[in-house]
Amino acid sequence: MRAKKRVVTTPPTRAPGPRRTPTVRRIHPAIASASGARPRPAARAGRPAPASPEAVGTGPLDLSVDLRRGRVLENPILVASGTFGYGVEYGEVVDVQRLGAICCKGTTLRPRIGNVTPRVTETPGGMLNSIGLQNPGVDAVIERYASVWARWRVPVIVNVAGESVDDYVEVVRRLDGIPGIAGIELNISCPNVGRGGLQFAIDADAAASVTAAVRRATDLPLLVKLSPNVADVRPIARAIADAGADALTAVNTLSGIAIAPTRARPLLGNVYGGVSGPAIKPIALRVVYEVAQVVDVPIVAIGGVTELADVLDFLAAGAIAVQVGTAIFADPTLPVRLVDELTDECRTRGLDSYQPLIGTALPRRTGPPSARGVEYRP
Amino acid sequence: MRLLGAELVESREILPGQWIQAFHAPHLASGSRAGQFVHVRTGDLSGLVLRRPFSLNTADPASGTVTIHFRTIGRGTEWLTRLRPGDLLDVLGPLGRPFEVDPRSRHLLIVAGGLGMAGVRMLADEAIRDGRQVTLLFGAASAREVYPSNLLPDEVEYVVATDDGSMGHGGYVTELVPEYEAWADQAFACGPAPMLGALARLAATRRNRLGVAKLGRKRGAGRVNPPGSPLARRKAFLQVSMEQNMGCAVGACLGCVVMGASGTPQRVCREGPVFAAEELDWEAGW
Repeated sequence: MRAKKRVVTTPPTRAPGPRRTPTVRRIHPAIASASGARPRPAARAGRPAPASPEAVGTGPLDLSVDLRRGRVLENPILVASGTFGYGVEYGEVVDVQRLGAICCKGTTLRPRIGNVTPRVTETPGGMLNSIGLQNPGVDAVIERYASVWARWRVPVIVNVAGESVDDYVEVVRRLDGIPGIAGIELNISCPNVGRGGLQFAIDADAAASVTAAVRRATDLPLLVKLSPNVADVRPIARAIADAGADALTAVNTLSGIAIAPTRARPLLGNVYGGVSGPAIKPIALRVVYEVAQVVDVPIVAIGGVTELADVLDFLAAGAIAVQVGTAIFADPTLPVRLVDELTDECRTRGLDSYQPLIGTALPRRTGPPSARGVEYRP
Repeated sequence: MRLLGAELVESREILPGQWIQAFHAPHLASGSRAGQFVHVRTGDLSGLVLRRPFSLNTADPASGTVTIHFRTIGRGTEWLTRLRPGDLLDVLGPLGRPFEVDPRSRHLLIVAGGLGMAGVRMLADEAIRDGRQVTLLFGAASAREVYPSNLLPDEVEYVVATDDGSMGHGGYVTELVPEYEAWADQAFACGPAPMLGALARLAATRRNRLGVAKLGRKRGAGRVNPPGSPLARRKAFLQVSMEQNMGCAVGACLGCVVMGASGTPQRVCREGPVFAAEELDWEAGW
């Protein structure tokens, strides 16, 4: 096994320097080409290899990710909601400021105590969780963390959950305009709560209506998190994109259960939980691959990222950024290391941006969106 | 809290299926207190994605070693038993909050059920070092699972109960408690949830019988420490070390909660694993 030698201790806050005000409004390639074919990434288009070894590792490298609405992330490695708390918990062992963004724990209008325990268990190649959206409520989150986040270089995207459209809108309205809140990720796909959550993610109309309502309530970048627990995710993704989402996060956990060792009952207190970790990577890849072919908004991929190869796979499948989740529990330093490794990878390939890595595995789009993939679906 | 490499020094099976492993980790040995735990990464076996939490069993600052005590219950712990001296373990720690002993407590009652010994073992060391008297009540299913007395400090009074009566008192360890309760200034416990619940109920009735405990009234009368603060815990008669399935161990994932008396779930990894008995809702069934 590997021994971790590197210990990163980070000062709790940075000097309150000027907040990063993005001046560049680059346009996502998918947007730029909305009228025509997706631009072929240079990697496969026969871009010449670096002429000489000296060319490797020179020049500025652009890892920035445009989330639109004036928000540019420094790099495409994010940490996933629910695995990184509010960004402060891992501060003693991780330099959180180096992350592309932090998605905080799911936040609801009123405090929630969450589900009965046990709430987590390991499963083959992953884990099951059923926290049940325990959180102190949006007002407490703002009061406790917003001022901390406002001093950080790393943007914090608040993950928002609710039971009704009004809930979502009210939470987002309270978050809008608060310094330190860089974006909203709509959790319409939490599989672990009785009411709300998932019901919005499995129906295109419901998903679109909640997205549109929230869109009207804020000018913050709006990500909407897709559920893999649906027969065909593409109509839902399209509806959400059309309703005004700035980006899609794919995917949330897959619904699953575990059985208690006594075999007398299911293991989790809530019976159902969400499966995450390497076990779901192929499914997440499939969803990203499918959604990338039918929407023109950027996709933030999530599902079983444990190493650079996973990041590159998701980029190739059409994602512009990647969230790391479950793997953080085993290796808290992984996300920051992935930033370094992605940088090295780009330098090795002689790239001045990671953009050419995006969408390389997607089928060439020559006409209307492909319907391929339907035939082998269950 | 640090991420560090800990080198295995010694590994032995002290009871069938129960192991004590010693690691060289000076930061943990000198920077940990009884009740805290470490989160250990298992080998890169396919399928294991979570770390495993272990109470720090003993810590020896002089040699820079710490030990953990565990039962082999799955692939992670079985992997641990196959480690050889010299192997490096990826450890996150020390984590959680320790036992808080009132400086005026002379007599400590420690109650351990089965593998709960791992959670309170280090407290016995600390108490002996500080010149306190320690009685350790230990409960196990049968004589085969009784923690060997030669692994405890000589100063500890060690009383054993077994469910089947094959050694010591026949019955639950909690049945021994009333005998010692009046003698004890404070009590500390770790073990199965039913045992801790029974002890918490005993502690509550004790408070009613004795009014405000012997401790607490003399100095700082009238000062109220917020529940869960080290000072409030120090005044509690019973402190328990809780166990729960754990994800991150730093307070981020909210997986390892137990229900607090205030109705707010408390994180075992962050607010715990040690709690004053009155901080928890023992009837919530979490």
